[in-house]
Formats: sequence, structure tokens, C-alpha cells
Amino acid sequence: MKPRLPLVELVLCALCLWAAWYHTPAGALVRTAGAWVFRTHTTARPLLAYYGAGTLVPPPEHALPLPGPVPPAQALAYGAFAVRADLGSPPAIASRLRSLAQTLHSEDAAALALFCGEETAHYAMEHAGSQPHLIDLARALPPSKTCVSQAAQALMLGGAYALAWPLPESVRITSPFGMREHPLLGGRRLHAGVDLGVMKGAPVRAVADGIVRRASTDGVNGRILVVDHGGGVVTSYCHNDELLVGDGDHVRRGQMIARSGNTGRSTGPHLHYQLDLGGEPVDPLRFRAQRPKTAVGASD
Amino acid sequence: MELRVTERVSKIRWIFLPLGMCALVAVGTHAAADVVGDKVLFAVDRVDAFFDAIFSSWSVTAPLVDLVGLGERTFFARAVALAWELSADALLAIPVLGYDERAAADELTIARVLAKRRLSLRLVQPAAALLVSIAGAAAVARLLQGTLLHYPLIGGFVAATALFGLFLLLAPRAVFRSLEHASAQKTAIGLLGLAILGPLAIAAVASL
Repeated sequence: MKPRLPLVELVLCALCLWAAWYHTPAGALVRTAGAWVFRTHTTARPLLAYYGAGTLVPPPEHALPLPGPVPPAQALAYGAFAVRADLGSPPAIASRLRSLAQTLHSEDAAALALFCGEETAHYAMEHAGSQPHLIDLARALPPSKTCVSQAAQALMLGGAYALAWPLPESVRITSPFGMREHPLLGGRRLHAGVDLGVMKGAPVRAVADGIVRRASTDGVNGRILVVDHGGGVVTSYCHNDELLVGDGDHVRRGQMIARSGNTGRSTGPHLHYQLDLGGEPVDPLRFRAQRPKTAVGASD
Repeated sequence: MELRVTERVSKIRWIFLPLGMCALVAVGTHAAADVVGDKVLFAVDRVDAFFDAIFSSWSVTAPLVDLVGLGERTFFARAVALAWELSADALLAIPVLGYDERAAADELTIARVLAKRRLSLRLVQPAAALLVSIAGAAAVARLLQGTLLHYPLIGGFVAATALFGLFLLLAPRAVFRSLEHASAQKTAIGLLGLAILGPLAIAAVASL
């Protein structure tokens, strides 16, 4: 039997092996097993890190406090500054991001250009669909680019800085984020959000545009809404009296999404508002210049 | 000289060809699983909400509601995508390693005979192998082009050539081997196999 183009086939097979070896979890599994057998070092990443094109990142450990109220358009600049201080001052970064966003027609692409270079961002924009998110842009690039992770963190922080508040600023906090003595169960536990003392029926508003990931009821969280704002920013609203949106609905910033209440495990009418970045609960007040006053009141 | 190199390379085709095809399918499977991962997260949220509603009904089980937070759900969704991908690799990529090359005309004849047998779940594997191989070829070409992004002309040419070569030389063989393997099995992959490969094959198309 006469072989067909053996050299071409060899090159093609080598390319496939290179791609599988370095860019798939199966390849990482083989590399790790090989390193274990031969007692050598491997550069394989954790298996789950091969998903999301490097954009699924944990929140940065340090988030800078905002000097004052920041318009949403400048929030990304503060996020970028928090990730890499050598990029310049936040106002300078904001101006650069504005010009990049005008050229690239996308805020996510502008963040990518800031960390990975304009040429890379232009390339990614050409190969991703229209109005792409960072994950779509990252999928067009070769993996394991650390700059993509930095852009993801900047967008995540920028998203958090840009969030509005679900209730009027005058509403007081009855239980802050952090370790505390649980009012109903006893013992020290992490309170993963902030409790806002508000009367039953008060309108709860979405803090940013997003998609409702969960609209459900249970005996602990009561009527709960979880809204995904993209870029690893997710907010939750618990103990509502009534949910006004359902699973998969798109919500806009400021839209009324629920009426507050006293459902689930709760000592009285209040809203439990929670912010998760990269899947980890964080104190939402860390990303706000204005801090509501605290008061004794209902909690969960 | 050139002939000698070609002859030497030909002698080791039996090893690099199955490995390359296996890698092509694995890359395609990963591209598809990456797309599936996003959808799994939504499914995991629904399942978690369902169990939260049940567990919160009794004080003994209520603490379980707090046990699984957003971080755990995200981790679990990615773990499901990984398990899905590795299962698909076992069903599609590993059997390709058993490829035993024949003349192109013979392979075509065998494939026609095998494909004409009554329509059954046996066709799921080759059909999935086809879509996943296409996704794999596109992913390899994308990786090449992305790696050469600073040389757009060269990158575009190399990617197009690789895509064409993979479509023509490796993908059809992977599908043939998959068809051969599925036909040789005593039982079809069953509904579980269909549940694993069906959505992944659709996701493979979505990944293009």
C-alpha cells in the first residue's frame, strides 16, 4: 500500500499532538501522570483551569477603596489600576480606555488591549463574533496568556466598582459582611452579604445589567434572586416577598426585580444583598465610596 | 534524499497517525466541552435550587443549603464539564488509537458497507466523531493562527493549510475508525453514550 503524503501527515499529527498536549485537560492529565511516574516537574495547569480560556479567575486579594463616587464609565479604570498599578493613574487609564473602546467598539476589547496590546485585541475582535465578551475574545487567542487573566480581573473589579445599590442609600445596614454570631443558629459563622433593614414590599432594584441565573424559593433564603452580571460578578437578593423576574430573564440596571420581605430564615423584614466575585463572596461595601449607616434591626 | 526521509517517515506512520487522530478528536472534544461548561453552570443552579427547596424544609438538613455556595456550584459545573470531556474522550478518542490503515479505496468501500447497515445507535459515535473532528481541526487552526497573530499573512496561510489538511487527511480517517469500532462492538453505546456524545456533538458545532 502506497502511503499518502507521509511528511504532511506527520506535521499535521504533530500539530494535533501539540494542541492536545498543552491545551486540553486530557493532555494535562497525561503530562501530570508522566511527571509523577518519572518524578519530574510538569507545567500542566490544574485540570479545571483549562476551561473559560483563562478568564475564570479568582478576585484579586486587594481592591483599592474608591476615593469618591465614580461614574460607571471610569470604574473599569479603577479595576485596571487595582490589578496593575504601573499602568498609570486611574484618570489616565480611563482616558486610554475611552480611546481604545472607541477604536475597538467594545469595553471588553479595550480592557484586553490595555493588558495584552492593541494588536492582540484587534486580532481577537476580528475573530470573535459581534459584541463579544472577554471570554469570546480570549477563545480566539492562544491560551495561557497571563494578560487575559489580568484583563479578566480588571473587568471583574471594574464591574464591582460600577454596581449601583439595590435599595435607597438611606436604608441602614443591620448586619454587615463577615464573621459574626448567628442570630438564629448560634455559633460564629460567615455572613456572606449585608443585611439591609427595610420594610416589607420595598422595591429591590438590579444593581447592574445582567441575566437572572436563579429565581427560586427555599426555607433558608426565602424568595431568592441570583443575577449574573458577567465577568464573574454575581449578586444575590434574599428573603424577598415577591420576585418580579424569572430564570433567564435579562434585567437592566435600576430595574425593579423584587419586593423585599421576610421570607425564609429571617428575624424580620430585610434584604440580604450579596456580591460574589469569581465565585467567592466579598463585602459589597469594599467597592463603594458611600457607606450606608448601620443600625440594629432584622437579620438572617 | 527526500525519498529516504519519506520512506523513514512512512515506516512510523502506524504510530503517529493514530496518535495524531486521537489528539485531533481530544482537541475537538475539549472545544465542545468548554462550550458545554457554560450551560452546565445554569443546570447546576437549577438542581441546587431544587435541592435547597427540599433540604430547607427540615431544620436538620437546613444547614446543607448554606453548604453549597456560588463558588462550589461553579467548581462543580466545571468538574462536570471535565468528567463529560474525559468520558467523551474514552468513547471517541481512545478507540481511534486502534486505527489500522488500509488503502483509501478499501477504507471507503468498508465505510459504505458499514454505514448501510440499519440505522441504530451505532451511528452516534461516528457522527459525533465527525463533528468533534471538525471542531478539533478548527481549534488547531485557530491556535496556530493565534500563535502567529503578529504575522497575519503567514498565520492565515498556515491556519488555512492546516485546516484543509486536517479535514482531508485526518478527520475522515478518525470517522472511519469510529464507524469501524462502533460496528465491531457487541452492543451499541446505549442511551448513556448518546446522552454523553449527543450534546457534545452539538456543542462542537457551536464551538466553530
